[in-house]
This record gives sequence, structure tokens and C-alpha cells, in this order.
Amino acid sequence: MSSGRGKREAENGRCNINVVQLEGLALMKIIKHCHEEGAGNTEVAQGVLLGLVVDERLEITNCFPFPRHADDVDEEDYQLEMMRHLRKVNVDHLSVGWYQSTQLGNFITTQLLESQFSYQTSIEESVVLIYDPIKTARGFLSIKAYRLTPEAINIVQERDYTPEALKKGRLGFETLFQEIRLVIKNSHLVNTLLTELYEFMPGSEGKQFLDLGTMSTLDRQLRCLMENVDDLSQEANKFNNFQRQNAKQLQDKHKFMQKRAAENAQRQARGEPPLPEEDINKQFKPIAPLPRLDAMITSGQIYNYCKQVSQFCSQSLGKLYVAKALQQEKK
Amino acid sequence: MTSRFFMSDSESESDSSEEEIVPEPPGISSSVFVFSEDEDETKRVVRSAKEKRYEELKNIIKNIKNYKKNRDMASLLSSFEDVCRAYSKALPVVQKEEGGRTPRFYIRCLAELDDFIQSVWEDKAGRKSMSKNNAKGLTTLRQKYRKYAKDYEADIAVFRENPDAPDSDAEVEHDEQEDDSDDDNIMDRGPAAFGKEVAPSKTTSKITKGSEDEDDDDDDSFDWGHDSEDESSSSDGDGGIDSLRKKFLKDKRERDEDDLKRRKKRGQREIKTKDEESDDDVGWERVKKGSSMPMEKPKMFGKDDEINVTSVHKKLNEIMAARGKKGTDRKEQIELLHELLNVARDNNLGPAIYVKIQFNIIMSVYDYNPSVSDPMKTEFWEKVLVKIDELLDMLIENPELTIGEQVTEETESLEKTPYLVRGCVLTIVDRMDEEFIKLLKACDAHSNEYIVSLRDEIRVCAIIDKLLKYKEEKGMPADICRVYLRKIEHLYYKYEPRAAKQAVGELPTTDDTTLAEMDRLCKYIYVRDNTDRLRTRAVLCHIYHMSLHDKWYEARDLMLMAHLQETIHHSDLPTQILYNRTMVQLGLCAFRHGNIKEAHNALLDIQSGGRAKELLAQGLLPQRQHERTTEQEKQEKQRQIPFHQHINLEMLECVYLVSAMLIEIPYMAAHEFDARRRMISKSFHHQLKNSERQSLVGPPESMREHVVAASKAMRNGNWKQCRNLLLNDKMNAKVWDLFHEADRVRKMLGGKIQEESLRTYLFTYSHVYDSISLVKLSDMFELPYSTVHAIISKMIINEEIMASLDEPTSCLVMHRTEPSSLQSLSLQLADKLYNLVENNERILDQKPFFTRGMQVLAVGTVTAGKRATGETVETAETKTSTAVVTEIKHQRFAVWPRKGAYHKQLMACLPLEPSSKGDWGPHIQQLATHPASYHLSMFLWYTRGSEGRELDVWAPPLQSWFLCNLQKTEAKNHLKCYYVSRL
Repeated sequence: MSSGRGKREAENGRCNINVVQLEGLALMKIIKHCHEEGAGNTEVAQGVLLGLVVDERLEITNCFPFPRHADDVDEEDYQLEMMRHLRKVNVDHLSVGWYQSTQLGNFITTQLLESQFSYQTSIEESVVLIYDPIKTARGFLSIKAYRLTPEAINIVQERDYTPEALKKGRLGFETLFQEIRLVIKNSHLVNTLLTELYEFMPGSEGKQFLDLGTMSTLDRQLRCLMENVDDLSQEANKFNNFQRQNAKQLQDKHKFMQKRAAENAQRQARGEPPLPEEDINKQFKPIAPLPRLDAMITSGQIYNYCKQVSQFCSQSLGKLYVAKALQQEKK
Repeated sequence: MTSRFFMSDSESESDSSEEEIVPEPPGISSSVFVFSEDEDETKRVVRSAKEKRYEELKNIIKNIKNYKKNRDMASLLSSFEDVCRAYSKALPVVQKEEGGRTPRFYIRCLAELDDFIQSVWEDKAGRKSMSKNNAKGLTTLRQKYRKYAKDYEADIAVFRENPDAPDSDAEVEHDEQEDDSDDDNIMDRGPAAFGKEVAPSKTTSKITKGSEDEDDDDDDSFDWGHDSEDESSSSDGDGGIDSLRKKFLKDKRERDEDDLKRRKKRGQREIKTKDEESDDDVGWERVKKGSSMPMEKPKMFGKDDEINVTSVHKKLNEIMAARGKKGTDRKEQIELLHELLNVARDNNLGPAIYVKIQFNIIMSVYDYNPSVSDPMKTEFWEKVLVKIDELLDMLIENPELTIGEQVTEETESLEKTPYLVRGCVLTIVDRMDEEFIKLLKACDAHSNEYIVSLRDEIRVCAIIDKLLKYKEEKGMPADICRVYLRKIEHLYYKYEPRAAKQAVGELPTTDDTTLAEMDRLCKYIYVRDNTDRLRTRAVLCHIYHMSLHDKWYEARDLMLMAHLQETIHHSDLPTQILYNRTMVQLGLCAFRHGNIKEAHNALLDIQSGGRAKELLAQGLLPQRQHERTTEQEKQEKQRQIPFHQHINLEMLECVYLVSAMLIEIPYMAAHEFDARRRMISKSFHHQLKNSERQSLVGPPESMREHVVAASKAMRNGNWKQCRNLLLNDKMNAKVWDLFHEADRVRKMLGGKIQEESLRTYLFTYSHVYDSISLVKLSDMFELPYSTVHAIISKMIINEEIMASLDEPTSCLVMHRTEPSSLQSLSLQLADKLYNLVENNERILDQKPFFTRGMQVLAVGTVTAGKRATGETVETAETKTSTAVVTEIKHQRFAVWPRKGAYHKQLMACLPLEPSSKGDWGPHIQQLATHPASYHLSMFLWYTRGSEGRELDVWAPPLQSWFLCNLQKTEAKNHLKCYYVSRL
């Protein structure tokens, strides 16, 4: 792990990461932190990931949480301090991104985009790990690694979210984030321990994933989905209005041009100099195009929800089949 | 009598000294002046510029003092102008000599002038009696002085801090004269003025107190002991005065004593004369005599004058001509009228003139109080009551006498029958009633004073009754209407227990109750009245009275027939207030009768804004956005209803909240999952939310908390707890015992709670039941079987619950068709998605501007949306019945209205009947290759529910088709769902 002190590919502009390799220790620390902090309240837990880049693989070997209410502590100082301390105990001390907890996958937000953007512009190889404590509690470990796509980086750099720019940058809600394959890797020693522990595990444990009570989750997901759909609907409405205004202005402009042209033709016939055509821009100030960032993020969020609901439903149906089979067996 | 008037004339020279404001008695100090002036003249021959100028100034100042003493405002004004001019001339000298400081004597002059102007100005009575010239002079002087004094404000303030310090120059004579005037002032002004002199900085507070002081003076204007005390104290107070002053002090004392004696004598004389002429009433004798008698005051008859109707009438006219004029002393006017009345009575001039004078006396008493908003004094009020009573008695006794507004001055006939007198008794009585209300409003509603005042109501009512009797005999219908309304307004808010007894049958129906009387009076007004206002008010009072006596149906019908709701906004504010009161009373009546919905509707408008207090004119609410002006506040205060007519606001709110609870809680239970649930009562929801916001909800204390806690209990169908929370000792004391038939109301309320709890229970928990036994329900809610049956039947008919009654087993069988929470959520989501798709398609429609990049985005979102609906609905439907599926199907089709073309295509390629069993191959081929296979699968999914028969027939081929498309997750899921739903 530490042997391949991988050469960073920052020199050639873009570093390409295909896979994130997560150390068991780091994962456990993330889980612990998120469960401690995110339990019961809606606040998100966040922290820094530490690790290395090896070729196209990002190895995350350690992490530490952000302080919770850091009003008096300067976060940057805190981070540097932490990293210095970790270096002293000979742990990887290079920041390679950050992690955040989520609830029901509601993590696609402007804040996430902004933070990940700043990470990725300062530290090329940064990833964000999204961890869902609720889902994990139900028996499905849910941790995902995301990076902004190069297109997204370009657009965010420009801060230009007009439809034109998005079109030019070929950015849609699907291409905003790219998910990166995540592998959990443990040392052999740990693996041995785990197999040993497995022996001790009581038979009734670890079967939560067969839980049939699905209604409340679906309920909540639907509510969130509805909220987002409402937002998106509003955005669409806004855009619609903007379009209408723009079309109207275009029309007016067109009319004006025609009139001016006719006038100029007349003037030419009379031998007078033609009127200038520059003042048209003064008269019709172009309406500022609507930023589409919010709409895009909401769409991304909806897409995410839909994927989740779909996944959840497939799983639930599977369980129902199992349950049905068991019922029949009993008869 | 005549002597009295003469006397007052003879007094005129010193009458000013009687007034509190007059500074100095004339003659005395002026002689001192003359003397000193002469001395000055002779002594000084050569004078510096300063001296010359100062001399000039001082002369004018002396003049000013003289004029002040004489109260010659016109000359004072010109002198003031002179002194200003002279001072401006002297200014260069002052600059040189005094270093720019204004000489102290000048400032003293200004300050004194200020005091003088202020005191004269405040003495309104005195001001009125001034001659025109003087009055004009005073106002001009006041204005001019104000303008001028601005420049010297600082100096005057410094002076006022220490007014008694000697003036810088040799101002001895000035000082003496000062002291003179001071002490004399004290003599004359009494304590108030004295205070002013000693502490001039307090003048502002004095201004407000001024009127009181005036009144005091009225009462004890002859209390000389008081003044002499002041005198001594004043000389004590003026301790640090230079020795020169002391010289004068002695003979001044002597002078003062002389003065005192003289005055005492005069005072006694006056008292004596007063006693002589005083008639029956003592209250009237307190009026100060001789004070500021106007010079143009009309004289009473001379000894030899012939006293007959014409002369008295003339006299009366003379007196009344002064009415309303600025300079008129109102007290004195009343006085004179009394005089005249006695004359008329002594000479037996006939009832007409007597009535006329009485009438005028009453009017003058009304006029006495210049401000409309303040109540009249109690002694005047008493007097007015007596007078009006007398007047009415006389009118009744003399049927040949007609009094009315239609009689003009010319047609008046005072000497011979039939007498005709101009005037309106109605107006007098109306005014009396208003004064009575004002009197009540002026006292603290919780004090004994209020009760004492309220006792007069009997007398007021008696007078109104008397007037009513008189008018009924000889009056125009319009007048009768007005009297009737007066009477009604004293009747309508009073509850008569006898009427209740009559309703029960304990009293014979022939007994006359207020109800019957109201009926009679109001009906007369309905028929005869031709002004809308009287009729409106009568209707409202009538409804109010009926509601008060639990005549719900009559009251409601009258309210509905009157159609007041539409027009009430155009009427005047008191009527609108009455309307509000009536609606509240009607609502309370409805509640007592168990008509919860009607009660709620009637009270909704009053309660919704949280401004019940304001709407019922039972108090002012603090305003949040902007302060009221004093004018507004005054107006609002005038509108207030006297306390004894108030409606208990807490009871009102409680009744409203309980009504809202009984309606809202079942409604909330029934529409729990509704996206667009409407609030029936905002204020009720507000209360609920308030309690939810609390982190810890303790046991209920206030009325509101009780209702909220009861609502929560009812929400769970716990009717017993709900009832206990509403009907307990605390609530009884607060609310329910205030009703006349408290027990009946409580019983009704208990019943309502049981019924509505049953409904709530059924709404909330019906989804966990397959069937419920009605017997069990009737046990649970302790309701008779028939009632439970009735309630449930009603719910079924109204389609509030999807169920049917199984008579043989007396069970309620649920149809289980209400969508579960997830299903209703899905439906909501479908709605929202529909909106979204609409919006998106509108964007797409606007092609000219549309760019390709956006298209990608838009289409992307649409597909995301589609996925969401398709898939969520599937899961939702894992547990649905066919009814919901059909409904969802409709929704679905609404979501994709534009895909109609596809559907047609798809229908075209689907065979309506399988040609032969198993012969589906070509169709499947066709379907599998069809570009719209995704939509097809969706379409099949939608149609599945209603056309179950075909689906069964189609099942094997569909299955195989789906299997062809297994790579599509959607299709896979559909198939799964299909199977699940068939389980």
C-alpha cells in the first residue's frame, strides 16, 4: 500500500481515477462518525479522507471527521493540525477528498457541487464518499464514491449556467457527477480476523435485509420525490416565462429592424445618410438568461431518487416472493 | 333680583380681581409708579446713551405693566410692539455696555408677559367675556410674543431659574413693583397661580391642570383663608430679597389687609344675595357669580316692567341669542334661564312659555360641556334627568300643548291654546341617552361607581317610557319609531327569565314578557319606518333578543329574511357593531341548540381575525403596524359599548373553538392523506399548531388548552377523555355556567362529542377493520344502537366511508377502497408529475428559441419523472384493489395525453380476440419489434385492471412477450407486479 508511492498524474492536467480502494479502517471510522452524529437529526456528518493515488486507483487509508460546531475553531487550521499529528504517527496524511452522510440519497445539492469543485480544483484526485446510515442500518451497506466530470468542472469554473453554456459544455444532469467504482480492501490479517469473528456471530444476526416493512421508507422517499418534483416544476415554469419574454422581445426587435430597414430604404432614396443600426441593442437590452444550475441539480436529485425507488421496489418484490414461497411451504 | 345685576355691574371695576388670572389690582401699584417716575424725571438731566435707551425701555415696560393690570389687551399689544422696537434701537448700546447680554429687566418683562398671556389665555371663561377688541389684541399679542420670545428663550430660561434675583441695574422700583405684583397675584390667583409664580418651570403641567383649578375656584371662590395662607408662605418663600424691598413690605401688608377686608365684605354680600335668589336647587348655586359678566349681558326685567309672555319670550330669545357664541359664559346662561323660569312661574304665564324655558335650560345644560367626548358632570346629569322628567310631566298634563320641530319661530303660539312650541323632546331624550352611555363609559367598569351610575338606567328607562306614552298619544309615526328604537335599545340585551319560563310553560302565555314587547315594538318599526337605519337596527335588536331567549328558528329566519349580510358593509359603524353582536348572539344560540355548523359559521367572521374584541367594540386592541392618532383613538373610544352590554369574549371563543373542533376533527381524519386539504377554521388550526410547537405539553390550564387537549383526544376517538376535558369544573366555571340552561348545553355537547368521536374513529381506523359490529360500536361510544346506525348510514350515503351495512349480523362491512397513505401519495405524485410534464412540454412547444442542449435536459427530466411514476405506482399497487387501479389508470392517461397516437397504433397491432389458442406468435413478433415496446408495456399495464378478462386470456402470450423483453428492467418489474397482484 505504502510501497507504491504513486506518482501523481497532476502534471498532465487531468488525473484519471477509475477505482477507489477503501481501507476497512477508514470505512469503519466513517460509519462510526456518521452514526454517532447523524443519528436522529437531519444534520450531515462530514470529514476528510486521507490516502494516496496509485496509477488510476485512489487508495483511501484513513480519515478524520470535521468538528461538529466549529465556531471558534478555524477549520483549515484544524485540518492541518490533524494531518500533522497523523503524519507524526506515520499515517498517510495526504488529503484525497471528503465524505458526507446522507439520508435517503438527498445528497445532490449545490453545496456538494461547490465543495467537491473546490476540492477537485485544489486536489486533483479528490473524491466524495456518500454514506447512507439508514440504509446501512437496514442491512445494506451503502457507500458510494463520486467525482465531478470534467465537463462539470469546466462549467462550474466558468460559473456560467446559461442554457447555451450547458449545451456547449455538453453537460446534463446525468453527466454532472460520475460514480466511481469502490472496492473495500482489507489486509489479510483483518480478513483472518473477520472469518474468525464470523464463527462467533449468532445465527439470528445479520438478517435485517429480509425485513418486509417497506412502507415507511417508500413513503418518505415519495415525499422527498414530490418536493423535488415541485421544485423542478417551478423551475420549468420560470424557464417558460423567460422563454416567453425572450420570444416577445425577439419579435419586437424584429419589427423594429424591419421598420428601420424600410426607413433607411426611404432615406437612401432621398439621398440622406441611413440611420445607424447600433442603437437597437440599447433599446432592447437582452434579458439575462436563466441559470439552469438549480434545475439541473434538482433533476439529478430526482434521477437519484428514482433509481433508489426502483432499486428498493425490486428488492421488496424479491422479498415478497420469498415470503410467498415460505407461506406456501407452511401450508 | 335686580340688585344682583346691579351689583354685578358695580363690581365690574374689580371683577377682574376676582379672577384667578388678574395680576394686580389697579390703582395701588400704579400710583407708586407715577411717583417714582416723577422722581426719575426730575433727578436726571444728563444721561448717557445707555441710560437714555434704558429709560425709554423702562417707561414702556411700565406701561405694559399698567395695561396688564387693566387687562387692556389692545394697548398692551401696541406697547409690546413699542418695547420691541425700542429694544432693537437699544441693541447697539446693549452690545457695548453689557457685552451682548440682554439686560435682566428686559428679560423679566418678557417672562412676566409670557406668564400673563398664558394665564389670560387659559382662562377661557375670562377670554370669552372680553370685548372683541381686547380678544383680538390678545390673540395677536400671543402670536407676536411667541415669535419674538424665541430669540430670548435661553435668557428667559435662565431668568426663570432664579426670578427673584435683583436685576443688574438700579432696578429698585422695578423690584418693588415686582413684589407688589407678586403678592397681589397670589392674593388673587389662589394656589394654582401661586404655584405658577414660584415654580414657573412647572407651567406646562399647570396648563393641563388648569381646568381643574378653575373648577375648584368655582366651588370655593370665597375661601379666603386659603389665600392669606398663601400670602404668608409666599413672603416666606421670597426670602433672599434685598433690604429695599422690606421697606415696602410693611405698608404693602397693610394695603393687603385693607384689600382683604374689603373683599371679605363683598364676598359676604354676594353670598347673601345669592341665598336670597337661590331657588330649590343647591347644585346650581355653586356657580360663580359676577365673574366676568360680559358688559353686553342682557338685563333682567326692571321693577316696573310689565312681565308677560311676550316680554319673557323676548328675554329668552335675548339670552339664547348668546348661545354658542365665543364670549358667552355658559354657566351664567343657565343661571339666567333659571331666573327666567322662576319669573315665568311666579307670574303664571302659562305652560307654553314654561315648557319653552325648561326646554332651553336643558339645551343649555347640554351645551355646558364643550367637548363632545367627555361626559357631563354628575350633578348636571341629575339635574337634566329631573328637568326632562318635569318637562315630560308637563307635556302630558297639558294635552293642548304641542311641541315639535315642525313649529317654526313664527307659528309659535305661547299665549293661548292650542299652544304651539318649537322644539323636539325626542332630541333631548336622545341626547340624554347618549350622555348616560358616556357617563357609564367614563367610569371604571369594575368599580362600584359604575354600578351606581347604572342605577340611573331605571330612571332613563322611565323617562323613555314616559316619552313613549306621550308620543303614542300624539306623535308622528316617524317619531314613534324613534322612541321605540330608543326603548328597544334599552331592552334588547337584557335577558328575562320570565320569558324562558313562559317558553317552558310555567307562565301563562298571556303574560307580557319583554319578548312580546320587543315583538310589538319592532313590528311597528318594520311597518312604519321609512328610514332604513331604524329598521336595520330594530331587526338586529330583535334578532339579538330572540337569540338571547333561545328562539333559534325565529331568530335565524328573521336574519335570513332581512338580507342584512349584503348591505351591512354600507351602514354606519355603530350599526355594524350591532350586527356583529347580533351574529355572535345568534351563533351562541345556535350552539345552545346543538346546531354546531350554524354556530361555527355565525362566529367564523368575528373570530377569524382574532379581533373579536375590536369588532364587538368591547375594547381597543393595540395596533401593530401603526399607532393610532389621538383622533382615531377618541373616535374608537366613542364607539365602545358600555360594559354591562358586553358579551363574554372567552365564552365566545370557547364556543367557537368547540364548534370548530366538532367539525374540523372528523374532517381532518377523513382527509388525512389529501394533498389539498382545506382548513375549515384557521384560528382553530392556529391553536393546534401552537400546542404542537410546545416542547412539553402540560395538563391544560386555560380554556384554549382545554379545547386543544380535547381535540387531540377526539382525534384518537377517545371520546370520554374528550368530554372530560371539555366538561369539567374548570370549564364549567369559565364557560358553561354562563349559559342560562347550562345543564342542557352540557348534555347536548356531550352527545355531540360522542357522535363526532364515533365518526372520527371510523375515519381513522376503518382501514384496519374488515367489518365492525354496530353493537360493539354503540357499546364503545355509549350511544344508542339507532343513533350509531343513523350516523353510519349517513356516512355511507355521503360516501364518506366505503362500506355497507350487513343488517342480519348488524355489521359494517368495509369495502377497503380507500387508498392507503402510500397510494394517495402516489396519486399526489402523479398529479405533480402531470404538472411537470405540462410545463416541460410547454417549453418544448416554444421551438423558435429552443436550443438542443435544453431539449436533452428537458427530455431527461421527463424520463426521470416517468420512471418515478411508473415504478412507484407499481409498488403502491402491490396491495390495491381494482377500483384504485382504475383511478390510477385515469391519472396515468392524464399524464400522457400526447401519447394517444401511440396507443392507437398499439391497439391496431393487438388482436381483439385471440384467433386460436396459442396462436400468438406473429403478434408477439410484431410487438417485440415495435419501436414503442416500452410504451406498450406501460399501456398494457394500465388497461390491465379494467379489462381483467382479456388479460387472463392474454396472459400466456403476454408473458412470453415480456420474457422477450426481459432485458428491460421496466418490463421485468411490470411482470412482477402483475404476478403479485394476481396472488
